[in-house]
Amino acid sequence: MADLDTPFRRFVADFREDKVAVGAAVLFVAIFAAAMACAYISPQNPYDLRQLDIMDGKMPPGKASMDGLVFWLGSDGQGRDMVSAILYGLRTSFLVAVTSGFIAAAVGTAVGLAAAYYGGWVDTLLMRTVDIKLSFPAILIALVLLAVFGQGTGKIVVALVVIQWAYYARTVRASALVERRKEYVEAAQCLALPQRRILFRHILPNCLPPLIVVGTIQIANSIALEATLSFLGVGLPITEPSLGLLIANGFEYILSGVYWISFFPGVALLVTIVSINLVGDRLRDVLNPRLQK
Amino acid sequence: MRFVLCRPMISIAVAAVAAVAAAFLPASARAQDLVVGLGGNVTSIDPHFHNLSPNNGVAAHVFDRLVHQDAQQRLVPGLATEWTVLDDTTWEFKLRQNVRFHDGTPFDAEDVVASLKRVAWVPNSPSSFLISTRAIAETIVVDSHTIRFRTARPAPLLPVDMSSVNIVSKRHVESPTGDFNQGRAAVGTGPFRFVDFAPGERVVLARNDNYWGPKPHWARVTLRIIANPSARTAALLAGDVQLIDQVQTADLPRLRGNQQIAIARVTSNRLIFLALDQNRDQSPFITDKQGALLPNNPLKNRRVRQALSRAINRAGIVQRVFDGEAIPAGGLLPEGFFGVSDKLKPDAFDPEAARRLLAEAGYPNGFAMTIHGPNDRYPDDEKVLQAIGPMFARVGIDTRVVTQPWATYASVSSAPTYAYSIMLFGWGAATGEVSSPLRSLLATPNRDLGTGASNRGRYSNPQVDELLARAMATVADPARARLLAEASEAAMADQGLIPLYYQINLWGMRKGLSYEPRADETTLAQFVRPAN
Repeated sequence: MADLDTPFRRFVADFREDKVAVGAAVLFVAIFAAAMACAYISPQNPYDLRQLDIMDGKMPPGKASMDGLVFWLGSDGQGRDMVSAILYGLRTSFLVAVTSGFIAAAVGTAVGLAAAYYGGWVDTLLMRTVDIKLSFPAILIALVLLAVFGQGTGKIVVALVVIQWAYYARTVRASALVERRKEYVEAAQCLALPQRRILFRHILPNCLPPLIVVGTIQIANSIALEATLSFLGVGLPITEPSLGLLIANGFEYILSGVYWISFFPGVALLVTIVSINLVGDRLRDVLNPRLQK
Repeated sequence: MRFVLCRPMISIAVAAVAAVAAAFLPASARAQDLVVGLGGNVTSIDPHFHNLSPNNGVAAHVFDRLVHQDAQQRLVPGLATEWTVLDDTTWEFKLRQNVRFHDGTPFDAEDVVASLKRVAWVPNSPSSFLISTRAIAETIVVDSHTIRFRTARPAPLLPVDMSSVNIVSKRHVESPTGDFNQGRAAVGTGPFRFVDFAPGERVVLARNDNYWGPKPHWARVTLRIIANPSARTAALLAGDVQLIDQVQTADLPRLRGNQQIAIARVTSNRLIFLALDQNRDQSPFITDKQGALLPNNPLKNRRVRQALSRAINRAGIVQRVFDGEAIPAGGLLPEGFFGVSDKLKPDAFDPEAARRLLAEAGYPNGFAMTIHGPNDRYPDDEKVLQAIGPMFARVGIDTRVVTQPWATYASVSSAPTYAYSIMLFGWGAATGEVSSPLRSLLATPNRDLGTGASNRGRYSNPQVDELLARAMATVADPARARLLAEASEAAMADQGLIPLYYQINLWGMRKGLSYEPRADETTLAQFVRPAN
């Protein structure tokens, strides 16, 4: 059919066949938009200490503060509105995950392309480095880096880049190796095109589909990892809680019935990660030529 | 094919099952055993190595002091049966007869001499007990069970000092700390014998059946170190331990609602306060709102210090962070302790007054600062700091809160780095009198006099120093109490530090046990008894 022949349209049509994935994508876009707009839509700025009052602490969902602000999801121990805290926390998570994802993808792609194109000792050196890197557990690397460099958003991004680049490198190398032996690359080489052009204009675009899939999954992973690090208390400053820190703060009240400080950020984290993973799974199915009908 | 189990394998399997079953048997099934969950980490068994509450608590099981303190920190006879002042600078202690060390050797005056010597000798001590023996100029052994201490100056607190020096056997006077940790040298006269020490995990003790005092009820005591407060509560609820200390206030409603659990509480001797850097002209964490260091340290201005104190909602902290289980503080020790002034009341929460004082001091638009504190030392320390941050922010001071693990925080905030400007600390008055916080926190730091050892803000007020020196040279109790009260009033009028609250010490235990709660926070298994 004529209207199905651009790759993007074919992709959209394929993607839409799975209603669950479409729902997840819509949900993800909604969460992402809400988090990015948190400064405008949340009832309180939870990072502005002047707006907090200890007397508003641990209010159950639906109760109002002394200033008349209603805590729809309750308040934490310091009198932070949970709705606002979750939105701001999500924004931090997304910023950290997306920034580190892009940097790691850039680094990993460069490494993977170089390894596949040049082969030989370059390949061996780079890929053994990747193997060594992958043999360390992610959480261990992050804990060591943050212990050395200290806390802060920038440092978390660095830690996440260090953790993730190897996955991208490996993925890109695998598909670039296949592409490199195809006739169109040989043709380009015969035309004496510059290496840079062959690598980035010919090989790289054909390696993109697996890269996109890995990227999606990795963003979900880095959101979870950032939450884990904050939960362990080595992530972001305590006065600017992200989701992990909110969960950690509420954790000790759970036994006493003050469930909402941990529960709602936990739900937010869960929904976000599940929706990204559903989208990622569908992308893998759609972009994988072997699974094509 | 046949499947054969050989005999050794079967017996190993049986033994393993039995071991697992024994491990999971409720501890109460073995009536003579007691398992305690402690919040504080024990760093050593050597009683002279590190003056740290958890260490002193463990030492009090294995060793005795000349003088003991009861639950309210009153002095009671220990290895000394009586002590008297012979003249202004001489104390005489009569030692207890027929006391034997765990290895069977008898205790006499030479052991006391050896222990005092060891206090001065013990290498690499992170926090020494020298402060307790400093007053002694000369030790005279009169006979095997009488000892005299000569002091350079009148030393009214010598019996109190002696209540923190553990007596070790003279055969171990030169044993290194490692020998104590491994048990070879951990030989005392105390109610329990040392069995095992796994650092960061547990201390195991067994009853000393030849103890000179009341025999402990428990044949075997395991002190398990469970630093996480929620884990401690969970262990108590599950019955893994029968008693826990430092109950987290957030867990109180749940524990109180449980028929199987009893709670014991008492006002602590520990003050939690903010120390303020009043020494440097530029303090590292006091800046203008753009982040540039202020040329003059505002904390040197009394009005700024008072403004900070008035900005704090102590009642709010007590109510919201501690569910009422703390006492707003206006002085250095709660009512009832020796030398407490009844004139010192907590500053009222008054943000308006705080703003006015800041304006009068020349900071109508405030400034910016970072407050530092530990996140694993005092109950809910991190939450208290998080609550104080917004209170300062509301009177116009941009405040950042940074918390760190105690090990890092305590070392960099002290000499020689003094890395911070405003610091949250606690001080437990080991002696049970106001002289303890006055000497350590507010007296001008002086190595030779041993004063101001924990004065991290390096506050210095000649009037306080003078009153304190007079008090420390006064042997008569009422006169000394009056001088101490005056000294603390002078320090508080000047806002040398900002008192926040006095802790309330909480223990949780399984029904059927009783423990007399102690003001000094220690958990002593010899005083845990079956309730009836």
